[in-house]
Amino acid sequence: MPALAQVHPLNAASSPQRDLIRIRGLDKTYAGGSVHALSAIDLDIKDGEFVCVVGPSGCGKSTLLRILAGLDDYDTGTAALDGKTISGPSRDVGVVFQAANLLPWLTVRENIALPLRVGGKQVGQAEDIDRLLDVAGLKDFGERFPYELSGGMQQRAGICRALVRSPRVLLMDEPFGALDALTRERMNLELQRIWQASRKTVLLITHSISEAIFLADRVVVMSARPGRVICELEVPIPRPRSNDTIISHPAYPALAKEIRGLLNAQGDE
Amino acid sequence: MSQAQTTIIADSVAIERAPPKPKTKAKDGKGVNGTAITLIGLVVLFGGWSLAVKYLEVPSYILPTPLAVWKALWSGIAVSPSSPLGYYLPLWGTLKNAAIGLAIGSGLGLTLGSLMAESRLIEKLVMPYAFALQSLPKVAIAPLIVIWFGFGDGSKIAISALLAFFPMLINSFTGLRAVEPERIDLMRSLSASRFETYRIVKLPNAAPFIFAGLDMAVVYALLGTIVAEFLGAQQGMGVVITQAQAVTDVAGVFAALVILGAMGITLHAIVRGLEKKVVHWGDRGRK
Repeated sequence: MPALAQVHPLNAASSPQRDLIRIRGLDKTYAGGSVHALSAIDLDIKDGEFVCVVGPSGCGKSTLLRILAGLDDYDTGTAALDGKTISGPSRDVGVVFQAANLLPWLTVRENIALPLRVGGKQVGQAEDIDRLLDVAGLKDFGERFPYELSGGMQQRAGICRALVRSPRVLLMDEPFGALDALTRERMNLELQRIWQASRKTVLLITHSISEAIFLADRVVVMSARPGRVICELEVPIPRPRSNDTIISHPAYPALAKEIRGLLNAQGDE
Repeated sequence: MSQAQTTIIADSVAIERAPPKPKTKAKDGKGVNGTAITLIGLVVLFGGWSLAVKYLEVPSYILPTPLAVWKALWSGIAVSPSSPLGYYLPLWGTLKNAAIGLAIGSGLGLTLGSLMAESRLIEKLVMPYAFALQSLPKVAIAPLIVIWFGFGDGSKIAISALLAFFPMLINSFTGLRAVEPERIDLMRSLSASRFETYRIVKLPNAAPFIFAGLDMAVVYALLGTIVAEFLGAQQGMGVVITQAQAVTDVAGVFAALVILGAMGITLHAIVRGLEKKVVHWGDRGRK
Protein backbone atom coordinates (compact mmCIF):
# COMPACT_ATOMS: atom_id res chain seq x y z
CA MET A 1 0.00 0.00 0.00
CA PRO A 2 2.37 2.68 -1.18
CA ALA A 3 -0.38 5.31 -1.29
CA LEU A 4 -0.65 5.09 2.47
CA ALA A 5 2.97 6.07 2.92
CA GLN A 6 2.48 9.11 0.72
CA VAL A 7 -0.62 10.37 2.45
CA HIS A 8 0.93 9.89 5.87
CA PRO A 9 4.63 10.59 5.54
CA LEU A 10 6.94 9.10 8.13
CA ASN A 11 6.66 11.70 10.79
CA ALA A 12 6.16 10.19 14.18
CA ALA A 13 7.06 13.38 16.01
CA SER A 14 4.02 15.31 14.80
CA SER A 15 1.53 12.93 16.42
CA PRO A 16 3.31 10.75 18.96
CA GLN A 17 0.18 9.82 20.86
CA ARG A 18 -1.93 8.69 17.91
CA ASP A 19 -2.80 4.99 17.77
CA LEU A 20 -1.19 3.42 14.72
CA ILE A 21 -2.49 -0.08 15.42
CA ARG A 22 -5.95 -0.60 16.83
CA ILE A 23 -7.28 -4.05 17.68
CA ARG A 24 -10.83 -4.55 18.92
CA GLY A 25 -12.52 -7.78 20.00
CA LEU A 26 -10.21 -9.90 17.86
CA ASP A 27 -11.15 -13.58 17.81
CA LYS A 28 -9.41 -16.39 16.00
CA THR A 29 -10.07 -20.13 15.92
CA TYR A 30 -8.09 -22.84 14.16
CA ALA A 31 -8.93 -26.28 12.84
CA GLY A 32 -12.57 -25.61 12.08
CA GLY A 33 -13.24 -23.90 15.38
CA SER A 34 -11.83 -26.61 17.64
CA VAL A 35 -8.78 -24.61 18.69
CA HIS A 36 -9.55 -21.20 20.15
CA ALA A 37 -6.33 -19.24 19.62
CA LEU A 38 -7.29 -15.65 20.42
CA SER A 39 -10.24 -14.40 22.40
CA ALA A 40 -11.53 -10.82 22.39
CA ILE A 41 -8.15 -9.13 22.07
CA ASP A 42 -8.21 -5.37 22.59
CA LEU A 43 -4.91 -3.65 22.02
CA ASP A 44 -3.80 -0.21 20.87
CA ILE A 45 -0.27 0.62 19.86
CA LYS A 46 0.75 4.25 19.55
CA ASP A 47 2.82 5.59 16.70
CA GLY A 48 6.48 5.16 17.60
CA GLU A 49 5.78 2.94 20.60
CA PHE A 50 7.75 -0.18 21.46
CA VAL A 51 5.42 -2.90 22.74
CA CYS A 52 6.53 -6.34 23.91
CA VAL A 53 4.08 -9.21 24.20
CA VAL A 54 4.80 -12.00 26.67
CA GLY A 55 2.69 -15.03 27.38
CA PRO A 56 2.79 -18.77 27.94
CA SER A 57 3.70 -21.07 25.05
CA GLY A 58 0.88 -21.56 22.61
CA CYS A 59 -1.09 -18.57 23.87
CA GLY A 60 -1.55 -17.22 20.38
CA LYS A 61 1.01 -14.40 20.48
CA SER A 62 2.47 -15.58 17.18
CA THR A 63 -1.04 -15.76 15.74
CA LEU A 64 -1.61 -12.16 16.80
CA LEU A 65 1.59 -11.12 15.05
CA ARG A 66 0.69 -13.08 11.91
CA ILE A 67 -2.72 -11.38 11.78
CA LEU A 68 -1.08 -7.95 12.04
CA ALA A 69 1.39 -8.98 9.31
CA GLY A 70 -1.52 -9.94 7.08
CA LEU A 71 -0.36 -13.57 6.95
CA ASP A 72 -3.35 -15.02 8.83
CA ASP A 73 -6.98 -13.98 8.79
CA TYR A 74 -9.26 -13.70 11.81
CA ASP A 75 -12.83 -14.61 12.61
CA THR A 76 -14.42 -11.63 14.32
CA GLY A 77 -13.39 -8.22 15.58
CA THR A 78 -11.19 -5.68 13.84
CA ALA A 79 -7.48 -5.09 13.38
CA ALA A 80 -6.59 -1.80 11.77
CA LEU A 81 -3.34 -0.16 10.79
CA ASP A 82 -3.56 3.61 10.64
CA GLY A 83 -7.34 3.43 10.40
CA LYS A 84 -7.35 0.89 7.59
CA THR A 85 -8.54 -2.64 8.23
CA ILE A 86 -5.74 -5.15 7.77
CA SER A 87 -6.66 -7.50 4.95
CA GLY A 88 -3.25 -8.68 3.78
CA PRO A 89 0.47 -7.92 3.83
CA SER A 90 1.33 -4.25 3.67
CA ARG A 91 4.36 -2.22 2.66
CA ASP A 92 3.97 -0.36 5.94
CA VAL A 93 4.80 -3.50 7.90
CA GLY A 94 8.20 -5.17 8.16
CA VAL A 95 8.38 -8.65 9.66
CA VAL A 96 11.38 -10.08 11.52
CA PHE A 97 11.10 -13.84 11.70
CA GLN A 98 12.37 -16.33 14.24
CA ALA A 99 15.90 -17.57 13.43
CA ALA A 100 16.49 -14.84 10.82
CA ASN A 101 14.92 -16.80 7.93
CA LEU A 102 17.50 -15.58 5.41
CA LEU A 103 17.69 -17.28 2.02
CA PRO A 104 20.97 -19.23 1.93
CA TRP A 105 21.45 -18.84 -1.84
CA LEU A 106 21.52 -15.05 -1.62
CA THR A 107 24.31 -12.92 -0.20
CA VAL A 108 23.61 -10.82 2.87
CA ARG A 109 23.21 -7.75 0.65
CA GLU A 110 20.85 -9.59 -1.72
CA ASN A 111 18.83 -10.83 1.24
CA ILE A 112 18.47 -7.32 2.62
CA ALA A 113 17.58 -5.96 -0.83
CA LEU A 114 15.00 -8.71 -1.47
CA PRO A 115 11.97 -6.64 -0.38
CA LEU A 116 12.92 -4.03 -2.99
CA ARG A 117 12.96 -6.63 -5.78
CA VAL A 118 9.58 -8.23 -5.22
CA GLY A 119 5.96 -7.29 -4.64
CA GLY A 120 5.34 -5.06 -7.62
CA LYS A 121 6.23 -1.44 -8.26
CA GLN A 122 8.39 0.17 -5.62
CA VAL A 123 6.61 3.46 -5.03
CA GLY A 124 7.45 3.86 -1.37
CA GLN A 125 10.69 4.91 0.23
CA ALA A 126 13.70 2.62 0.15
CA GLU A 127 16.50 2.67 2.69
CA ASP A 128 20.09 2.83 1.56
CA ILE A 129 21.43 -0.69 1.92
CA ASP A 130 24.99 0.40 2.66
CA ARG A 131 23.72 2.58 5.48
CA LEU A 132 21.63 -0.28 6.89
CA LEU A 133 24.62 -2.64 6.74
CA ASP A 134 26.68 -0.02 8.52
CA VAL A 135 24.09 0.56 11.25
CA ALA A 136 23.77 -3.18 11.83
CA GLY A 137 27.54 -3.69 11.98
CA LEU A 138 27.55 -5.77 8.82
CA LYS A 139 29.53 -3.38 6.66
CA ASP A 140 32.15 -5.96 5.69
CA PHE A 141 29.72 -8.84 5.34
CA GLY A 142 27.43 -7.69 2.53
CA GLU A 143 28.94 -10.04 -0.04
CA ARG A 144 29.07 -13.02 2.33
CA PHE A 145 26.46 -15.73 2.45
CA PRO A 146 24.25 -16.18 5.53
CA TYR A 147 25.92 -19.44 6.57
CA GLU A 148 29.22 -17.57 6.91
CA LEU A 149 27.68 -15.35 9.62
CA SER A 150 27.03 -15.97 13.31
CA GLY A 151 23.45 -16.33 14.51
CA GLY A 152 23.43 -12.80 15.90
CA MET A 153 24.72 -11.33 12.64
CA GLN A 154 22.14 -13.30 10.68
CA GLN A 155 19.34 -11.86 12.78
CA ARG A 156 20.76 -8.35 12.38
CA ALA A 157 20.58 -8.91 8.63
CA GLY A 158 16.99 -10.11 9.13
CA ILE A 159 16.19 -6.82 10.88
CA CYS A 160 17.83 -4.85 8.05
CA ARG A 161 15.67 -6.72 5.56
CA ALA A 162 12.55 -5.82 7.53
CA LEU A 163 13.63 -2.16 7.56
CA VAL A 164 14.64 -1.77 3.92
CA ARG A 165 11.19 -0.74 2.67
CA SER A 166 11.13 1.83 5.44
CA PRO A 167 7.95 0.45 7.03
CA ARG A 168 6.12 2.27 9.79
CA VAL A 169 5.64 -0.88 11.84
CA LEU A 170 8.14 -3.58 12.74
CA LEU A 171 6.70 -6.92 13.84
CA MET A 172 9.21 -9.24 15.53
CA ASP A 173 8.41 -12.84 16.41
CA GLU A 174 10.87 -13.99 19.10
CA PRO A 175 13.71 -12.65 17.00
CA PHE A 176 16.48 -13.52 19.47
CA GLY A 177 15.03 -16.75 20.84
CA ALA A 178 17.65 -18.90 19.13
CA LEU A 179 20.61 -16.89 20.40
CA ASP A 180 22.70 -17.44 23.51
CA ALA A 181 22.09 -15.18 26.50
CA LEU A 182 25.13 -12.97 25.96
CA THR A 183 24.48 -12.39 22.26
CA ARG A 184 20.88 -11.77 23.12
CA GLU A 185 21.75 -8.96 25.53
CA ARG A 186 23.96 -7.36 22.90
CA MET A 187 21.19 -7.69 20.30
CA ASN A 188 18.72 -6.02 22.66
CA LEU A 189 21.10 -3.12 23.04
CA GLU A 190 21.52 -2.82 19.28
CA LEU A 191 17.79 -3.10 18.65
CA GLN A 192 17.19 -0.27 21.13
CA ARG A 193 19.77 1.82 19.29
CA ILE A 194 18.23 1.06 15.86
CA TRP A 195 14.76 1.78 17.21
CA GLN A 196 15.82 5.07 18.82
CA ALA A 197 17.34 6.14 15.51
CA SER A 198 14.36 5.14 13.36
CA ARG A 199 11.43 5.50 15.80
CA LYS A 200 9.44 2.74 14.19
CA THR A 201 6.40 1.34 15.91
CA VAL A 202 7.51 -2.07 17.18
CA LEU A 203 5.57 -5.10 18.38
CA LEU A 204 7.97 -7.75 19.66
CA ILE A 205 7.03 -11.17 20.93
CA THR A 206 9.30 -12.76 23.49
CA HIS A 207 9.54 -15.46 26.13
CA SER A 208 12.02 -13.48 28.16
CA ILE A 209 10.72 -11.18 30.88
CA SER A 210 14.04 -9.32 31.15
CA GLU A 211 14.11 -8.80 27.39
CA ALA A 212 10.56 -7.46 27.44
CA ILE A 213 11.33 -4.95 30.22
CA PHE A 214 14.62 -3.92 28.62
CA LEU A 215 13.07 -3.15 25.25
CA ALA A 216 9.47 -2.13 25.85
CA ASP A 217 7.66 1.10 26.52
CA ARG A 218 4.79 -1.16 27.46
CA VAL A 219 4.65 -4.88 28.22
CA VAL A 220 1.48 -6.73 27.23
CA VAL A 221 0.88 -9.97 29.15
CA MET A 222 -1.29 -12.60 27.50
CA SER A 223 -3.16 -15.50 29.07
CA ALA A 224 -2.90 -19.17 28.16
CA ARG A 225 -5.06 -20.34 25.28
CA PRO A 226 -7.42 -18.89 24.28
CA GLY A 227 -5.11 -15.87 24.32
CA ARG A 228 -6.45 -12.74 26.00
CA VAL A 229 -4.70 -9.57 27.09
CA ILE A 230 -4.65 -9.87 30.87
CA CYS A 231 -2.42 -6.96 31.74
CA GLU A 232 -0.61 -4.01 30.20
CA LEU A 233 2.33 -2.56 32.13
CA GLU A 234 4.15 0.67 31.32
CA VAL A 235 7.93 0.50 31.77
CA PRO A 236 8.92 3.77 33.43
CA ILE A 237 12.66 3.30 32.93
CA PRO A 238 14.31 6.12 30.95
CA ARG A 239 16.21 5.49 27.73
CA PRO A 240 18.77 4.73 26.57
CA ARG A 241 18.75 1.70 28.85
CA SER A 242 21.75 -0.51 29.38
CA ASN A 243 21.96 -4.06 30.63
CA ASP A 244 23.65 -2.83 33.83
CA THR A 245 21.45 0.13 34.68
CA ILE A 246 18.15 -1.58 33.98
CA ILE A 247 18.47 -4.18 36.73
CA SER A 248 19.48 -1.57 39.30
CA HIS A 249 16.56 0.71 38.43
CA PRO A 250 14.06 0.73 41.33
CA ALA A 251 11.12 -0.08 39.04
CA TYR A 252 12.72 -3.21 37.59
CA PRO A 253 12.26 -5.81 40.37
CA ALA A 254 8.60 -4.99 40.99
CA LEU A 255 7.86 -5.06 37.27
CA ALA A 256 9.64 -8.37 36.72
CA LYS A 257 7.93 -9.84 39.76
CA GLU A 258 4.50 -8.75 38.59
CA ILE A 259 4.95 -10.15 35.07
CA ARG A 260 6.35 -13.41 36.44
CA GLY A 261 3.41 -13.66 38.83
CA LEU A 262 0.92 -13.12 36.00
CA LEU A 263 2.63 -15.76 33.86
CA ASN A 264 2.93 -18.26 36.72
CA ALA A 265 -0.78 -17.86 37.38
CA GLN A 266 -1.26 -19.20 33.84
CA GLY A 267 0.31 -22.49 34.84
CA ASP A 268 2.93 -22.48 32.11
CA GLU A 269 6.55 -21.31 32.10
CA MET B 1 -5.28 -41.38 -3.55
CA SER B 2 -2.96 -39.13 -5.51
CA GLN B 3 -1.35 -38.09 -2.24
CA ALA B 4 -0.44 -41.70 -1.55
CA GLN B 5 0.95 -42.04 -5.04
CA THR B 6 3.06 -38.96 -4.56
CA THR B 7 4.54 -40.46 -1.44
CA ILE B 8 5.26 -43.78 -3.10
CA ILE B 9 7.02 -42.17 -6.03
CA ALA B 10 8.85 -39.74 -3.81
CA ASP B 11 10.03 -42.67 -1.68
CA SER B 12 11.36 -44.55 -4.68
CA VAL B 13 13.33 -41.47 -5.65
CA ALA B 14 14.61 -41.07 -2.12
CA ILE B 15 15.93 -44.62 -2.15
CA GLU B 16 17.91 -44.07 -5.32
CA ARG B 17 19.54 -40.95 -3.96
CA ALA B 18 18.16 -38.95 -1.11
CA PRO B 19 19.07 -35.27 -1.15
CA PRO B 20 20.48 -33.63 0.81
CA LYS B 21 22.69 -36.41 1.95
CA PRO B 22 25.29 -36.32 4.69
CA LYS B 23 28.78 -35.56 3.56
CA THR B 24 31.23 -38.41 4.00
CA LYS B 25 34.93 -37.82 4.10
CA ALA B 26 37.16 -39.58 1.58
CA LYS B 27 39.28 -40.87 4.40
CA ASP B 28 37.55 -42.68 7.22
CA GLY B 29 39.83 -41.23 9.83
CA LYS B 30 41.52 -44.54 10.54
CA GLY B 31 44.70 -43.51 8.75
CA VAL B 32 44.08 -45.91 5.86
CA ASN B 33 44.58 -44.47 2.40
CA GLY B 34 41.38 -45.05 0.38
CA THR B 35 43.16 -44.73 -2.97
CA ALA B 36 45.65 -47.46 -2.07
CA ILE B 37 42.84 -49.84 -1.13
CA THR B 38 41.07 -49.15 -4.43
CA LEU B 39 44.30 -49.82 -6.35
CA ILE B 40 44.96 -53.08 -4.48
CA GLY B 41 41.37 -54.13 -5.21
CA LEU B 42 41.87 -53.44 -8.90
CA VAL B 43 45.09 -55.48 -9.04
CA VAL B 44 43.41 -58.39 -7.24
CA LEU B 45 40.39 -58.19 -9.55
CA PHE B 46 42.35 -58.15 -12.81
CA GLY B 47 44.95 -60.65 -11.56
CA GLY B 48 42.22 -63.06 -10.46
CA TRP B 49 40.38 -62.55 -13.72
CA SER B 50 43.52 -63.31 -15.80
CA LEU B 51 44.42 -66.37 -13.73
CA ALA B 52 40.84 -67.67 -13.77
CA VAL B 53 40.58 -67.40 -17.55
CA LYS B 54 43.99 -69.09 -17.97
CA TYR B 55 43.74 -71.95 -15.48
CA LEU B 56 39.99 -72.66 -15.73
CA GLU B 57 40.44 -72.65 -19.53
CA VAL B 58 37.49 -70.35 -20.13
CA PRO B 59 37.06 -69.93 -23.91
CA SER B 60 37.73 -66.37 -25.11
CA TYR B 61 34.23 -66.13 -26.66
CA ILE B 62 32.80 -66.48 -23.14
CA LEU B 63 35.25 -64.37 -21.16
CA PRO B 64 38.30 -62.73 -22.71
CA THR B 65 41.42 -61.96 -20.68
CA PRO B 66 41.88 -58.41 -19.41
CA LEU B 67 44.79 -58.11 -21.84
CA ALA B 68 42.52 -58.97 -24.79
CA VAL B 69 40.02 -56.37 -23.62
CA TRP B 70 42.81 -53.80 -23.28
CA LYS B 71 44.01 -54.57 -26.83
CA ALA B 72 40.50 -54.16 -28.22
CA LEU B 73 40.13 -50.94 -26.27
CA TRP B 74 43.45 -49.58 -27.49
CA SER B 75 42.64 -50.41 -31.10
CA GLY B 76 39.56 -48.22 -30.79
CA ILE B 77 41.37 -45.39 -29.01
CA ALA B 78 44.71 -45.20 -30.82
CA VAL B 79 43.25 -44.14 -34.14
CA SER B 80 42.51 -40.87 -35.86
CA PRO B 81 39.31 -39.27 -34.48
CA SER B 82 37.71 -39.50 -37.93
CA SER B 83 38.50 -43.20 -38.39
CA PRO B 84 35.43 -45.42 -38.80
CA LEU B 85 37.23 -48.07 -36.70
CA GLY B 86 37.66 -45.84 -33.65
CA TYR B 87 35.29 -45.06 -30.77
CA TYR B 88 35.24 -41.35 -31.46
CA LEU B 89 32.56 -41.16 -34.16
CA PRO B 90 30.11 -43.62 -32.54
CA LEU B 91 30.70 -42.08 -29.10
CA TRP B 92 30.05 -38.61 -30.48
CA GLY B 93 26.83 -39.84 -32.14
CA THR B 94 25.61 -41.51 -28.94
CA LEU B 95 26.51 -38.59 -26.68
CA LYS B 96 24.93 -36.05 -29.02
CA ASN B 97 21.59 -37.88 -29.14
CA ALA B 98 21.68 -38.59 -25.41
CA ALA B 99 22.42 -34.91 -24.72
CA ILE B 100 19.55 -33.69 -26.91
CA GLY B 101 17.23 -36.27 -25.34
CA LEU B 102 18.40 -35.23 -21.86
CA ALA B 103 17.78 -31.56 -22.59
CA ILE B 104 14.28 -32.21 -23.94
CA GLY B 105 13.31 -34.81 -21.33
CA SER B 106 14.63 -33.00 -18.28
CA GLY B 107 13.33 -29.66 -19.56
CA LEU B 108 9.84 -31.09 -19.93
CA GLY B 109 10.16 -32.92 -16.60
CA LEU B 110 11.14 -29.73 -14.77
CA THR B 111 8.36 -27.75 -16.45
CA LEU B 112 5.62 -30.27 -15.75
CA GLY B 113 7.00 -30.93 -12.24
CA SER B 114 6.82 -27.18 -11.57
CA LEU B 115 3.25 -26.92 -12.86
CA MET B 116 2.25 -29.90 -10.71
CA ALA B 117 3.90 -28.42 -7.63
CA GLU B 118 2.13 -25.09 -8.19
CA SER B 119 -1.33 -26.43 -8.99
CA ARG B 120 -3.24 -29.13 -7.13
CA LEU B 121 -5.50 -29.44 -10.18
CA ILE B 122 -2.63 -30.26 -12.53
CA GLU B 123 -1.15 -32.56 -9.88
CA LYS B 124 -4.40 -34.52 -9.61
CA LEU B 125 -4.73 -34.59 -13.38
CA VAL B 126 -1.19 -35.74 -14.18
CA MET B 127 -0.08 -37.77 -11.16
CA PRO B 128 -2.05 -40.99 -11.94
CA TYR B 129 -0.53 -41.14 -15.42
CA ALA B 130 2.92 -40.24 -14.18
CA PHE B 131 2.63 -43.01 -11.61
CA ALA B 132 1.37 -45.56 -14.18
CA LEU B 133 4.15 -44.69 -16.65
CA GLN B 134 6.76 -44.65 -13.89
CA SER B 135 5.84 -48.25 -13.00
CA LEU B 136 6.14 -49.33 -16.63
CA PRO B 137 9.57 -50.60 -17.74
CA LYS B 138 10.07 -47.80 -20.21
CA VAL B 139 12.63 -49.52 -22.45
CA ALA B 140 9.73 -51.85 -23.34
CA ILE B 141 8.21 -48.90 -25.21
CA ALA B 142 11.39 -48.55 -27.30
CA PRO B 143 10.21 -50.77 -30.22
CA LEU B 144 7.04 -48.67 -30.45
CA ILE B 145 9.05 -45.48 -30.54
CA VAL B 146 11.23 -46.86 -33.32
CA ILE B 147 8.02 -47.47 -35.33
CA TRP B 148 6.96 -43.87 -34.72
CA PHE B 149 10.30 -42.11 -35.13
CA GLY B 150 12.20 -44.46 -37.48
CA PHE B 151 15.75 -45.78 -37.21
CA GLY B 152 17.40 -42.34 -37.38
CA ASP B 153 18.39 -39.94 -34.59
CA GLY B 154 14.71 -39.24 -33.81
CA SER B 155 14.02 -42.51 -32.03
CA LYS B 156 17.26 -42.28 -30.02
CA ILE B 157 16.44 -38.76 -28.86
CA ALA B 158 12.82 -39.72 -28.10
CA ILE B 159 13.73 -42.72 -25.92
CA SER B 160 16.44 -40.75 -24.11
CA ALA B 161 13.99 -37.93 -23.49
CA LEU B 162 11.37 -40.37 -22.20
CA LEU B 163 13.81 -41.95 -19.75
CA ALA B 164 15.25 -38.62 -18.61
CA PHE B 165 11.79 -37.13 -18.12
CA PHE B 166 10.63 -39.09 -15.08
CA PRO B 167 13.43 -38.56 -12.56
CA MET B 168 13.28 -34.84 -13.32
CA LEU B 169 9.49 -34.72 -13.06
CA ILE B 170 9.33 -36.49 -9.72
CA ASN B 171 12.37 -34.84 -8.18
CA SER B 172 11.48 -31.31 -9.19
CA PHE B 173 7.91 -31.85 -7.98
CA THR B 174 9.09 -33.26 -4.64
CA GLY B 175 11.73 -30.57 -4.21
CA LEU B 176 9.41 -27.68 -5.04
CA ARG B 177 6.87 -28.95 -2.51
CA ALA B 178 9.54 -29.38 0.19
CA VAL B 179 9.99 -25.66 0.74
CA GLU B 180 10.04 -24.43 4.37
CA PRO B 181 6.78 -22.63 5.29
CA GLU B 182 8.75 -19.75 6.88
CA ARG B 183 10.27 -18.93 3.50
CA ILE B 184 6.83 -18.82 1.91
CA ASP B 185 5.66 -16.59 4.80
CA LEU B 186 8.57 -14.26 4.09
CA MET B 187 7.57 -13.90 0.43
CA ARG B 188 3.90 -13.48 1.33
CA SER B 189 4.77 -10.76 3.84
CA LEU B 190 6.49 -8.93 0.98
CA SER B 191 3.45 -9.33 -1.30
CA ALA B 192 5.66 -11.24 -3.74
CA SER B 193 3.98 -12.63 -6.83
CA ARG B 194 3.63 -16.35 -7.36
CA PHE B 195 6.35 -16.34 -10.00
CA GLU B 196 8.70 -14.32 -7.79
CA THR B 197 8.19 -16.85 -5.00
CA TYR B 198 8.84 -19.69 -7.44
CA ARG B 199 11.97 -18.13 -8.91
CA ILE B 200 13.55 -16.67 -5.78
CA VAL B 201 12.57 -19.24 -3.15
CA LYS B 202 11.09 -22.49 -4.44
CA LEU B 203 13.42 -23.18 -7.35
CA PRO B 204 16.72 -22.62 -5.48
CA ASN B 205 15.22 -24.48 -2.53
CA ALA B 206 14.54 -27.47 -4.82
CA ALA B 207 18.00 -27.34 -6.44
CA PRO B 208 19.45 -30.29 -4.46
CA PHE B 209 16.46 -32.42 -5.50
CA ILE B 210 16.69 -31.26 -9.11
CA PHE B 211 20.39 -32.12 -9.26
CA ALA B 212 19.69 -35.58 -7.85
CA GLY B 213 17.11 -35.98 -10.62
CA LEU B 214 19.57 -34.71 -13.22
CA ASP B 215 22.17 -37.17 -11.96
CA MET B 216 19.76 -40.03 -12.68
CA ALA B 217 18.46 -38.47 -15.89
CA VAL B 218 21.98 -38.25 -17.40
CA VAL B 219 22.55 -41.98 -16.98
CA TYR B 220 19.02 -42.81 -18.18
CA ALA B 221 19.43 -40.66 -21.30
CA LEU B 222 22.64 -42.52 -22.17
CA LEU B 223 20.87 -45.82 -21.54
CA GLY B 224 17.95 -44.76 -23.74
CA THR B 225 20.19 -43.96 -26.69
CA ILE B 226 22.09 -47.26 -26.39
CA VAL B 227 18.86 -49.27 -26.22
CA ALA B 228 17.50 -47.47 -29.29
CA GLU B 229 20.77 -48.17 -31.10
CA PHE B 230 20.44 -51.87 -30.28
CA LEU B 231 17.17 -51.86 -32.18
CA GLY B 232 18.79 -50.43 -35.26
CA ALA B 233 21.08 -47.53 -36.12
CA GLN B 234 23.78 -46.44 -38.52
CA GLN B 235 26.25 -45.49 -35.82
CA GLY B 236 26.71 -45.19 -32.09
CA MET B 237 28.16 -47.16 -29.19
CA GLY B 238 25.14 -49.46 -29.29
CA VAL B 239 26.06 -50.35 -32.86
CA VAL B 240 29.69 -50.96 -31.84
CA ILE B 241 28.43 -53.47 -29.26
CA THR B 242 25.99 -55.28 -31.57
CA GLN B 243 28.61 -55.46 -34.36
CA ALA B 244 31.21 -56.96 -32.02
CA GLN B 245 28.60 -59.37 -30.68
CA ALA B 246 27.68 -60.46 -34.23
CA VAL B 247 31.23 -61.74 -34.80
CA THR B 248 31.56 -63.05 -31.21
CA ASP B 249 34.24 -60.45 -30.53
CA VAL B 250 33.56 -60.56 -26.80
CA ALA B 251 36.69 -58.56 -26.04
CA GLY B 252 35.30 -55.85 -28.32
CA VAL B 253 31.97 -55.88 -26.39
CA PHE B 254 33.85 -55.56 -23.10
CA ALA B 255 35.94 -52.70 -24.48
CA ALA B 256 32.81 -50.80 -25.58
CA LEU B 257 31.31 -51.35 -22.13
CA VAL B 258 34.46 -49.92 -20.53
CA ILE B 259 34.05 -46.82 -22.69
CA LEU B 260 30.38 -46.46 -21.68
CA GLY B 261 31.26 -47.03 -18.02
CA ALA B 262 33.91 -44.31 -18.20
CA MET B 263 31.36 -42.04 -19.87
CA GLY B 264 28.83 -42.66 -17.11
CA ILE B 265 31.38 -41.90 -14.38
CA THR B 266 32.48 -38.73 -16.17
CA LEU B 267 28.92 -37.46 -16.62
CA HIS B 268 28.11 -38.23 -12.99
CA ALA B 269 31.21 -36.31 -11.91
CA ILE B 270 30.22 -33.35 -14.09
CA VAL B 271 26.72 -33.22 -12.56
CA ARG B 272 28.13 -33.47 -9.04
CA GLY B 273 30.69 -30.77 -9.79
CA LEU B 274 27.95 -28.54 -11.17
CA GLU B 275 25.79 -29.20 -8.11
CA LYS B 276 28.59 -28.25 -5.73
CA LYS B 277 29.06 -25.00 -7.60
CA VAL B 278 25.38 -24.09 -7.85
CA VAL B 279 24.18 -25.42 -4.47
CA HIS B 280 27.09 -23.81 -2.63
CA TRP B 281 25.14 -23.59 0.62
CA GLY B 282 24.82 -27.39 0.75
CA ASP B 283 22.93 -28.73 3.75
CA ARG B 284 23.27 -25.45 5.59
CA GLY B 285 20.06 -24.18 3.97
CA ARG B 286 17.91 -26.47 6.08
CA LYS B 287 16.95 -26.48 9.70
